[in-house]
Amino acid sequence: MTGEPVWRPAVLATATGDGRVRCDLCPHACVLADGEIGECRVRRNSGGRLETATFTTTVAHLDAVERKPFFHVRPGSQVLTAAGPGCSFRCNYCVNHRLSQYGRPGGSSDFAGDPAQPSTLVSQAADAGAAIGLSYAEPSLAPELTLALAGLAAPRGVPVLWKTNGFLTAAAIDLVAPVLTAVNVDVKAATDAAHRRLTGAPLAPVLDAIERFRAAGVWVEVCTPLIPGVSDAPAEARAIAANLAAIDPAVPWHLVRFTPDFRMRRPDPTPPAVLARAAADGREAGLTFVYVERALGDQGRATYCPACGVVLVDRTLWASRENHLVDGRCPGCGLAIPGRWA
Amino acid sequence: MSEAEANDEVVFVASLPDLIDASEYDDHPDGRLVRLRLTVGADGVELLGDAFRPQELEALLRTLGGGPTEQMLCG
Repeated sequence: MTGEPVWRPAVLATATGDGRVRCDLCPHACVLADGEIGECRVRRNSGGRLETATFTTTVAHLDAVERKPFFHVRPGSQVLTAAGPGCSFRCNYCVNHRLSQYGRPGGSSDFAGDPAQPSTLVSQAADAGAAIGLSYAEPSLAPELTLALAGLAAPRGVPVLWKTNGFLTAAAIDLVAPVLTAVNVDVKAATDAAHRRLTGAPLAPVLDAIERFRAAGVWVEVCTPLIPGVSDAPAEARAIAANLAAIDPAVPWHLVRFTPDFRMRRPDPTPPAVLARAAADGREAGLTFVYVERALGDQGRATYCPACGVVLVDRTLWASRENHLVDGRCPGCGLAIPGRWA
Repeated sequence: MSEAEANDEVVFVASLPDLIDASEYDDHPDGRLVRLRLTVGADGVELLGDAFRPQELEALLRTLGGGPTEQMLCG
């Protein structure tokens, strides 16, 4: 681990005059004078050139795809997840704050990580029959690494996945979507005001990103942490579900329990009853596939055929137990189930 | 590295076993349950913890000392 970032040239930059550079990666659209660092703390203007510290590996962990979570992507497979520091959000509840909140108050001031070695990561994933995942911190801050990994991964049949906050510009999505197989996007609040309070960023770009990724052919699943005072009230959960159902009723929606951590230590964890109610609300809003990670047991994690009710994928706590799909279809009635199954 | 620095260090690991089952959530609505497992092996004593409130568990592990705390990342 270096303790200091290694900076490399970054993509998605526009010179705005007087040596300033606008970062076109996320909707913060930071305009940086020479030497300034962006809101994310991992992209900067150096001599009129945009640079990134995100071509970095702090961790590279092999784990089940269900942990991202992806429930409609290659059930039972593994993902080699790589991450370096940085996030475009400043969520008060972040369990991964030591990595994600680098450079921010309460986050780490020491940069943990070494320059990423894409060929090593891709070989490790390919040898394990795994996908490559960028997660834990914010992968959308690392389009350069994503493209480098994908260039090596594609010939070896290794999919590339993101677990992301979805806070990207249209240009950034257009750059990375062609190389991504799937993204899981966090939708953390129902209203713009609540989203800004929690994350420091507006909500609309996140919903726009879901639509743009989908339009580009990327498989999209959505996570919503039920956070006290932000997204745990029935009206909030219903509104988020309605937003998603309006995009596509078949978007898988994962409901996640809040963990008191970082700057939100006082509230209690989300009660199972609140998760169960939100799941019911999601189905009532028209969503076909609603999941609760662990609080509701195996039933909350299983995929059921929306036509005949047969269990299609049976899951244990953190992995798939049995995948009954036949070429992506229900073995009972033959209905095609949306996802990336092979 | 001093012993105090080692105790403050957090190392990210790929996985750690669960000690709390979801069926116990309703019994601890305030999230104050902490469960610990001590294992004595050839290399010494290993202390595994699980809790709803990570920072309280981490504070406890730091107090007990013995080296860096391992943490599993989310997502």
